[in-house]
Amino acid sequence: MTTLVSEKRDAPKARPAPHKISWVWLGVTPFFLFAFMFLLYPSSTIAVKSFQDTTTHLFTLNNFVHLLQNPNLLNAYWISIKISLITSLGGGIFGFFLAYSAIRGGLPPFMRTSLMTFCGVASNFAGVPLAFAFIALLSPSGVLTGWLRSVGYNPYFHGFQLYTFWGLSMVYMYFQFPLMVLVISPAIDGLRREWHEAAENLGASTFQYWRYVALPILLPSILGTMILLFGNSFGAFATAQALTGGSINLVTIMIGAQLRGDVLGDAGLGYALALGMVVVMAVAIAGYTLLQRKSERWLR
Amino acid sequence: MKRGGRVWSWFWMVLGILYFFLPLVATFIFSLRAKKGVLSFLAYQQLFNDSGFIKGFSYSVLWGILTNIVGILIFVPTAYWVRLRAQQFRTAVEFITLLPFVIPAIVFVFGLVRTFSHPPFLIVDSPALLIAGYTVLSMPYMYRSIDTGLRSIDVRTLTEAAQSLGAGWGTILFRIILPNIRVAILSGAFLSFAIVMGEYILAQYLAKPAFAPFLAYLIQQKAYEPAAATVISFALTWACMGIINLFGRGQEGQIAGGH
Amino acid sequence: MTHLTLSNISKQFAETAAVQDFNLDVAKGEFVSFLGPSGCGKTTTLRMIAGFEIPTTGKVVLDDVEITDKAPNQRNVGMVFQAYALFPNMSVAQNIGFGMQIHRESKATIKQRVEEMLALIHLEKKGNSFPYQLSGGQQQRVALARALANRPQVLLLDEPLSALDAKIRVSLRAEIRAIQRKLGITAIYVTHDQEEALSISDRIVVMYEGKIEQVGTPFEIYNFPQTAFVANFVGTLNTAVAEVVDPAKRLLRIDGVELESAEVMDGRQKGDKVTIAIRPERFNFIAQEKKANVLDCTIDNITFLGAVVRIQVLVGNNRFYMDTFNNPFLELPTIGAKNQITCSREAVLVLKN
Repeated sequence: MTTLVSEKRDAPKARPAPHKISWVWLGVTPFFLFAFMFLLYPSSTIAVKSFQDTTTHLFTLNNFVHLLQNPNLLNAYWISIKISLITSLGGGIFGFFLAYSAIRGGLPPFMRTSLMTFCGVASNFAGVPLAFAFIALLSPSGVLTGWLRSVGYNPYFHGFQLYTFWGLSMVYMYFQFPLMVLVISPAIDGLRREWHEAAENLGASTFQYWRYVALPILLPSILGTMILLFGNSFGAFATAQALTGGSINLVTIMIGAQLRGDVLGDAGLGYALALGMVVVMAVAIAGYTLLQRKSERWLR
Repeated sequence: MKRGGRVWSWFWMVLGILYFFLPLVATFIFSLRAKKGVLSFLAYQQLFNDSGFIKGFSYSVLWGILTNIVGILIFVPTAYWVRLRAQQFRTAVEFITLLPFVIPAIVFVFGLVRTFSHPPFLIVDSPALLIAGYTVLSMPYMYRSIDTGLRSIDVRTLTEAAQSLGAGWGTILFRIILPNIRVAILSGAFLSFAIVMGEYILAQYLAKPAFAPFLAYLIQQKAYEPAAATVISFALTWACMGIINLFGRGQEGQIAGGH
Repeated sequence: MTHLTLSNISKQFAETAAVQDFNLDVAKGEFVSFLGPSGCGKTTTLRMIAGFEIPTTGKVVLDDVEITDKAPNQRNVGMVFQAYALFPNMSVAQNIGFGMQIHRESKATIKQRVEEMLALIHLEKKGNSFPYQLSGGQQQRVALARALANRPQVLLLDEPLSALDAKIRVSLRAEIRAIQRKLGITAIYVTHDQEEALSISDRIVVMYEGKIEQVGTPFEIYNFPQTAFVANFVGTLNTAVAEVVDPAKRLLRIDGVELESAEVMDGRQKGDKVTIAIRPERFNFIAQEKKANVLDCTIDNITFLGAVVRIQVLVGNNRFYMDTFNNPFLELPTIGAKNQITCSREAVLVLKN
């Protein structure tokens, strides 16, 4: 990777000036102070309290034990994981095909810029407004429901329900596939045309090119981004809350309920739940970062 | 590109466009149905007359502006200092700016409430906590945007040139560095603004007036006004993104804020 | 029997004619370079041989088989790209063996030929390395091996050395030529570097704005350029506008001085203005040897280039360069001094504009 000239020149030079060391610290103090107070300290509070017994404040692993014994909470984890898997796979595959079509699919160039703009907006259009948009679309009195009924097809007679797991999945897809498009596009750009030509030149068909060259090269990026999507879905709250009023059992919903009023009856359990979430997210982000680094090495 | 391939490309694009636009179109149509049997902007009128909407919207705008101010005041000098003199802190700083990705908003607010509900930091009721929370949520985008902007100008040479002409740190930061990273700052600012405007979790659980909690409440109470509010919310997000795109390479809008 | 024939090849892109009236016969085992500036159509022509572009008109015939419309993966030509285009997810050995893998050769055959190729490019120990672990020059050698492993009928090289450092370029081009000779494979080499083309080609096709300017051996191209473009593009050249004095006696005049050329000037009339060209190394000072043409000059500048000393002189209003071999014991003239330079009749070229 080439470094900019300015980066090279910003490298620490041998300038030992003892009285300047305190200046260096001073410059970054506001930031660290802010981060500590409003990010690190509250987060560590969660971590610490999750290992504390609620009444005695002694160190204990009981909160986690109770977590694993609570069928309701385990179910919440399972549903959260399920919806995250489904929307990350679905959103990932759909997003990939969409991105590839716009970038390398032989479409007019304005389609790519338009797609990127739309995706930039859509990936930010999550939460309460998105939930309502789907209500307006597919609720029993929704616009699309009305149109379908007017041509003789009532989705609700065929078992469709919006305020369910699958309805929520559909809503999640709305911000998942745009995120995939945005993150995977640089990788698709990095797929150099010469590789396709070189493969063709050596006798490969388009299928063989994909099987032996393109997909293996893209796989780390695709997997990494899907993991990112997984984390994204796992941590989503407002959309689910607004759509289902908290009736679907997700980990985030449980944490929200716990925050409003100790529904779990055990404060320590709440902390354990929260920490468990952070662990899942951390693993997801770590996985994404590792796979990104690997693909960057190839797509230099 | 062979012809067969192009058909598939159009197929995916059309699917994507449908998925993207149908909910929006439906919301817009729904928002026009307030008056029975006729399409009208009645819902919008009712919405603009709703004091709750005005309050929620105005407060969100206020929170957005304040968050941007705080963000710029903290992040610009920090990013500048890290680039110039404090390179050893770079990994630590970048790690911290990425933490909000790892901590979901609901967990974050959980931590905030629990931490600041007890003395000595009993500030859970103060709007300052909300602003601080929003600043943290927007940190990955704001800080990285500023950092990208700084990377593209030769910070060291500019600073040394200014110093040789007699400028102090304040002058350097505000009259030399800041104007040169204007685009990057604005890019980050509009993204943060969009995030704050759409943010639900922090405002709801810190019990502060804001647009998204109002919208959630509205959904329970009214049928058509929420549609109007959603349309406005979308238009606003679109406007922010559009402005960012106008600045050229805006940041790739990744999932932001509490959703 | 020509091995590769391009007849009447042209390529039209929307508004521009990228290639026009391209005709070439290449013999088996011949090394031909396409030489020209950016945008002259040399790469487009190469890509038409490879199948990545389809000609608008014309035919491409390889070994008596017409391949004009054949898909790129059906042509059995080997291409080496400017940007190497090695598959990053495969090791060097896997890259080299890829073509054979596609053609379903046996594992044993693949292994053996990969080893052969690695030996040919002198990278025997790097079979298991990955492209990102290799230098630019090494990557390009692997790209060459990959193209050759497939036993193609023609080797096509698209500015393969442009992305490399100057020193590596010189050594690698010699290696490429040596390998090509050893295997006896027909090769088409695209470059904008005239020194490269001159040093390794059997013949050079000089192109400009989509058309062939001249085809010939390096010797012919350099010493007998047929057009002003070729004369200017290949090597340094002194040009001047001269007036025809007597076409039969082949006399010209520049700035009051008469010159005799060896060129036939049929079709020219007295008073016509023509462009003459003289290579710098064809001049010498009158003190060394007197030749047919003598020109009064003033020494303007002296540049020491190492093996060559380039002396700039003013002949009337014209600035000419004179190249002479470096000789530590030769006294160089002083700037501003008057002198006389001479050149033979044959040195005075009259260009077709």
